Amino acid sequence: MIDRVLGRYVIVSKLGEGGMGAVYRARDQVLQRDVALKFLAQGLAQDAQRLLLAEARAASALSHPNICTVHEVGEVDGEFYIVMELIDGKPLSALIGSGLAYQAIMRYGAQIAGALAHAHGRNVIHRDLKSANVIVTPEGLAKVLDFGLARRLAGLGKDEVTRTLEHLESHGSLSGTLSYMPPEVLCGQPGDHRGDLWALGVMLYEAAAGHLPFRGQTVFELSDAILHGAPPPLPARIPPGLASVIQRCLAKEPAQRYQRAGELQAALEAVQSAVFTPAPAGEPHGLRTTVHRGIKHLQVRDGDTLLLVGTMKGVFLLRSQSRERWDVAGPYFHGQAAYAMAYDGRAGRHRLWASNVGVWGAFLRCSDDYGRTWTNPPDAPIRFPAESGATLKNIWQVCPGRTSEPEVMYCGVEPAALYESRDDGETWSLVRGLFDHPHRPRWAPGAGGLTLHTILLDPQNSERMYVAISAGGVYATEDGGRTWQARNRGVRVVHTPEKYPEFGQCVHKIAMHPARPERLFLQNHWGLYRSDNCGECWQDIANGVPSDFGFAMAMHPHNPDCVYIVPIESDEFRCAPEGSLRVYRTRNAGESWEALARGLPQKGAYETVLRDALTVDSLSPAGVYLGTRSGQLFGSADEGKTWKKLLDGLPPIVCVKAAVVGARPASRPPRTARRSSPPKKNKAPRKR
Amino acid sequence: MPVAFLIPGALRSFAGGQRQVVIEATPATVADALAELWTRHPGIRDRVATEQGQIREHINVFVGNENIRDTGGLQTPVEDGAEISIIPAISGGLTKEDYSPRLPASIIEK
Repeated sequence: MIDRVLGRYVIVSKLGEGGMGAVYRARDQVLQRDVALKFLAQGLAQDAQRLLLAEARAASALSHPNICTVHEVGEVDGEFYIVMELIDGKPLSALIGSGLAYQAIMRYGAQIAGALAHAHGRNVIHRDLKSANVIVTPEGLAKVLDFGLARRLAGLGKDEVTRTLEHLESHGSLSGTLSYMPPEVLCGQPGDHRGDLWALGVMLYEAAAGHLPFRGQTVFELSDAILHGAPPPLPARIPPGLASVIQRCLAKEPAQRYQRAGELQAALEAVQSAVFTPAPAGEPHGLRTTVHRGIKHLQVRDGDTLLLVGTMKGVFLLRSQSRERWDVAGPYFHGQAAYAMAYDGRAGRHRLWASNVGVWGAFLRCSDDYGRTWTNPPDAPIRFPAESGATLKNIWQVCPGRTSEPEVMYCGVEPAALYESRDDGETWSLVRGLFDHPHRPRWAPGAGGLTLHTILLDPQNSERMYVAISAGGVYATEDGGRTWQARNRGVRVVHTPEKYPEFGQCVHKIAMHPARPERLFLQNHWGLYRSDNCGECWQDIANGVPSDFGFAMAMHPHNPDCVYIVPIESDEFRCAPEGSLRVYRTRNAGESWEALARGLPQKGAYETVLRDALTVDSLSPAGVYLGTRSGQLFGSADEGKTWKKLLDGLPPIVCVKAAVVGARPASRPPRTARRSSPPKKNKAPRKR
Repeated sequence: MPVAFLIPGALRSFAGGQRQVVIEATPATVADALAELWTRHPGIRDRVATEQGQIREHINVFVGNENIRDTGGLQTPVEDGAEISIIPAISGGLTKEDYSPRLPASIIEK
């Protein structure tokens, strides 16, 4: 074979033997450079060969620093060969040894995920990703080989897979390919790009542990481990953030994995910066903590009602046993604005979340001891990827996930984007499906900036979620965040000539009752609406309110027909109408509204209640609370009938949240929960 | 000759409580000096710079008395023995401790 000439190439030496065929170093006599030349395995059926060639040609269109470039696909005397970039380096499989340093795993992992994102975006799936197929150069670049060359397995049925497995076993390459094969492909399904994310997870695990996650002596044992087994725990030196990224890649169900390689890349980049310094043992979340001294902290007992009050200059916490008298503590985070707060009572926790923003940037912090100590991560865990050019301005919403997924958290940020955490808020990844939405470049900022400020999770359907963006409108996903559709039909826009555009609405708040997740209420920048079909279309419900302009909206905890709002006079004069601060309530889903004003200031009260400064607790009768821009905090323990001033003289209030300690986080509605059907129409373009 | 960073009150908890951090290296530019600073004290990085590597809008960095925004930004050359100050702009961010070091700290980081 040496010195053989194929067109412009002369074979110089043999580099190795792969499953697909032998690989040679060859000299390109025209361009005067060395290349790698690979012969495709002999004896393939013509169809299979043609398929392989088509794939190789598709792969030759890929151009990415972490993908080995395919220069040419050629044929001589019925023998097919591929000419590729010659890479100086070592296969990752040879570097792993007893496990790589976690920094290297994250670095190579993010590079490989970037390569997959590039290829998947061009409809090229690898299907045979393994540590032997990644070369690491002396400069520290990971290069993925053999893109698109394993298509063969895709079209095979179950019997053929079995035959292929037998073939693999008989050829002694069992640990080569099968160990990386995703469960769905083992089950005979065609599999998709998420199979590559599984394979990358297997590689990351292998690099972390020094051995494969699933092992067996026979094909049967190995297949069984892949299909049903849990990988052994990773060594303690692997940071929990990285471990949970790997774990998510290795979810048996493709829908439970990262849905796009870009998300995985973002998650790996995020953990890369999050573990800058190893965490000292024993600290909550493994992050540095801040101890607030000189503050009389709250003494909280089970059954107490807590109020979390975020202001422009810090956080205040209130507690009460009876909702009559309130103890107050604060200010926490001196001088920093807290636009987002949340209480997380899932899985036996009692965790407070607060966002901080000031001249030093925006950070998310939490406390498990009612404010005595707060996490203070050295590195900002929520960050935009470098290639986006975006910088985090503020965190507008913190939203614990569903009760069934107690490790999941969501965040809405400015500039408008959704972040997701699968490890209790320790590491966060950008939800790419929304960030890459074709509408995004045309979203426009409102007075408060371009923000994603509301997140609603359908408690009955874990694939469905709604977000509200000012000014982009309402968007929904029906597939767990992979794709998003604008849901704004019927919502009027005043700031553009087109009155009913597909998107661009300046939505101020949306609300949903957990027992009626198909029904949404919406307070727009002018306009009050209800949708009975998951936001597919909206109808006006501003029946008898002094103004349909407003910011805040809150759902009654038990009655799905009951919603609270605080009308504001106009876009121009953003104060309570006629200087009288009134909450309005509907108890018939918007057919009519009644004013609730007893105990609220009615003369000269040019107050503003911002979008997150109105809330309810989960007791019965429900408590309702609001904070004003002038720093007054009001509460009602009888569903809004009568109000009392709880505090005044605070900095401008931007956020009020209520929680009952030790109570179940979601209200238990008296009605029988109804399962809703997904909306029928879907006009918005879908994004891969 | 080393360079010295002056650390504002709000960030001292990330520098082991120090008001001044001396970098025993010879950075050529402010960017090099900052990279040295946050290798030693990682928590400072994300509070002074954005994720895109730019100094935050309301933070100023001075080499001696010169704001680097006027002298070439992060590429501003650093002389041996230079003193580099990180100071929040007038928009807010200085603590009482920055103004009067004798006042007791009410918020102490562990």
